[in-house]
Parts: sequence; C-alpha cells; structure tokens
Amino acid sequence: MAEIAQDTGGGKQKGKKVRSKKMSTKIDFTPMVDLGFLLITFFMLTTTLAKPQIMALVMPDKDVDKEDPPPPVKESKVLTLLLGADDKVYWYEGITDAKLDSTDYSAEGLRQVILNKMDKVKGIFGMEDYKKKNKEGVEEDLKGSYINVIIKPMRESRYKNLVDALDEMAITKVRYYVILNVSDLEREFVKNPAGGLKFSAEEQLDAATN
Amino acid sequence: MPKHKPKRGAPSIDMTAMTDVAFLLLTFFMLTAKAKPQETVVVDTPSSISETKLPDAGTLTITVSKEGQIFLDMAGSHTRMSLIDDVNSRYNLGLDDQEKLKFANLGGFGVPRKQLKKYIDLSPTERASYKSEGIPVDTADINNSELADWIHNARLAQFRMKQEGKVKDEYVMVVKADKDTPYPAIEKVINTLTDINVNKFNLITSLEGGAKKEGEE
Repeated sequence: MAEIAQDTGGGKQKGKKVRSKKMSTKIDFTPMVDLGFLLITFFMLTTTLAKPQIMALVMPDKDVDKEDPPPPVKESKVLTLLLGADDKVYWYEGITDAKLDSTDYSAEGLRQVILNKMDKVKGIFGMEDYKKKNKEGVEEDLKGSYINVIIKPMRESRYKNLVDALDEMAITKVRYYVILNVSDLEREFVKNPAGGLKFSAEEQLDAATN
Repeated sequence: MPKHKPKRGAPSIDMTAMTDVAFLLLTFFMLTAKAKPQETVVVDTPSSISETKLPDAGTLTITVSKEGQIFLDMAGSHTRMSLIDDVNSRYNLGLDDQEKLKFANLGGFGVPRKQLKKYIDLSPTERASYKSEGIPVDTADINNSELADWIHNARLAQFRMKQEGKVKDEYVMVVKADKDTPYPAIEKVINTLTDINVNKFNLITSLEGGAKKEGEE
C-alpha cells in the first residue's frame, strides 16, 4: 500500500509514450499507530512500576512515662540479636547465664533461631496455640506474639543487616521487636563470650530505656 | 437522474487523528518519565520482602550515602518556598528571591546551611559534580543539629501549606540508605528523628528477587 510512484527512467526507450502510472499518495499509518501505542503502553507501565517499596518502622517514644512505665517483659521470652561485622548475628536468650551464639542471615540461620525460640517459649509456658480468626475468617497462627526480640545493631554492622533483621521479623511474624543501642557490656560479651553477661537489674533497665 | 452507485472497495478510515492522539500521549509519558529529578547521590537500597509501595502523599526523604553523608529532599515547591523563606530569614543566608525560587525546584541537597547559597548558585552541570559534604548532624545537642532543624521546619512548612489548602497531607518520612552504609550513620538519623518526635518512618527497600515466605512450618 505504501508505495511511492517511481519515475521509470527508461520509459521512452522503445519509442512508445509511456504514461506514468497513477498512484495513490496515501500512506498506511497502521504500523506507525501500532508502534505509538506500544510505546505508550511501555512508558505507562514503567512509570507506575518505578515506585519503590517501603518498610514501615515504628520507634518507641523517647520520653518514657515515669508514672506509668510499660510492663516488664518476661526474661525467658527475650531474644537479643547483636548485629555484628561481616554479616554475622550474635544472639543470646534472656540475661541470666546468657550464652552467646552466632549465625548468619540465611533462612537456615537467623530464621531458625527465631522459630526455635518461639517453640521453646511455647513449651515453657504451655501455651495454647495462639490461633485467631482474621477478618476473612481464616485461622492465623499468632506464634509471633510469644517472644520479644531486641535488635541491637553494632557499630560495625551495615544498614543491610538491619533491614535483613527487620525482614526476618516480618517473615516470622514477630509482633514485638525493638531496635536499641548496644551496651558496653554486650560489646565486651561479643569479644569474650566465655566471660558471660553480667547484667544487674538496673543496667538492664538502663539498656532498655536507652 | 443517474442512479447512485454504492461505493465499491475497502472503506478507508482516516488515521491521522488517532495518530495525533497516540503521539501526544507518547510524548506526555516520555516527558513525565524523564522528568524525575536528578539524584544527588546514588544509593543501592537493600532488598526486603516488603511489598508496600511508597504512598502518593508528599514525602520528606532523608538519603544516607555509602559514606554516611546525609541528604534531604522534600516534595512540593510551595512547601519548599515557605521553608526557605523561613530558614533564610532566621539564619541570614542572604538568598534573594531568584535563589529561593531555585531552591524550591532544586531536588535533593546535602550541604551545610552556610554553603547553601553557593550550592544554589551553581549551574546544574556543576551541581551534578559538586562534592557535597552532607548535612551536619549533632545527636548530642538537638538544637545544634542542622538535620533536625531542616526536618522540623520542613514539617512545619508542610503543615502551614496544609492549612492553606495547597497540599493535602503531611509529610511521610522516608529514610533511604545504601545497603553498605555503616550503621552509626543510620543511628544518627534515627536518633535525630526520635528526638524531634518522629517515631514513625519508612525505610526504602527494593523488592527481593525470588524471596520465599517461610517460617509458617
């Protein structure tokens, strides 16, 4: 369809008069429109997909209400994660006779530590399965409410480590977790795990309100 | 009277109008796609399983580079105009109206307050290669921290604009950092935010490829 009339150069060679063919100058626009819409679709899709993902984070209020302090947490439910250098996580349970162990951010590492802790706490307290029906009427396991996780990123850790740790909270559905500063005691503990963690009750409170 | 002969052959439709519309839309999308402001600093965000998208409301973005420098970017030229007016008169930055207008459309910045005039006066190409030293933070004394001051005043400015009906929402606080940013730099930002009673904020992440949801047994 989209032909352009060509002037045939050798028209007069045979002595005959050749009439130039009458050709339509109309061009078919269909492929061009096709291409146009294809590009529109492309740009439309890429602009909406470019929105970044976010992860909401809520920090506790700095000013602790002295009159009405938050209720204390059972020691046996607490799991403390110390995010260290070179993508390593040090962790210990509770504070009395705490034993330091280390793991990594893989699904077999940190995630198992959290899940094991959940099972352990469930065993200690002989809890019924926390099952609750959500809005759609589907039973949801609320195992995540069993434990309290304290995330303490150390100076040597990277931002990625923090996000990975928070990600594990989301995956294992831990409901109560908090980001706190590492105390000097804990820094010492990581350097010398055999030394144990000698927290006094006040120091723990200090660490918690820091 | 001769009889009307019905037209023979394929009916042809004039495509010109459709083509016009198509290319108009194409131009529009191409321009809006490219109109994204130039990044002051390139950060590679860590991946996570979170699929929540950044809301449409105006955002106040705190970017932390790999080296720990802090940059700020806020949406809305009305708010930025009001903010720079306020900051300019309070700290005598010596900006004229032209420079204020430039600031309103500047995008992200990461210079100490004293260097802001110099930074604004640069040409766009010079600005792209400018070595920003980041916004100074002082976590010990919150009144001395420029970052806290900027964020606080920006939120106030946004609130004023909301009351005037120029914007709909208050700022959504967003922290965007490189995955290799050392934690102390992030800690500074988080401490600054909680110090000025911003306890809820969002971390920008990119979607993790092939992440499996486990942990439900």
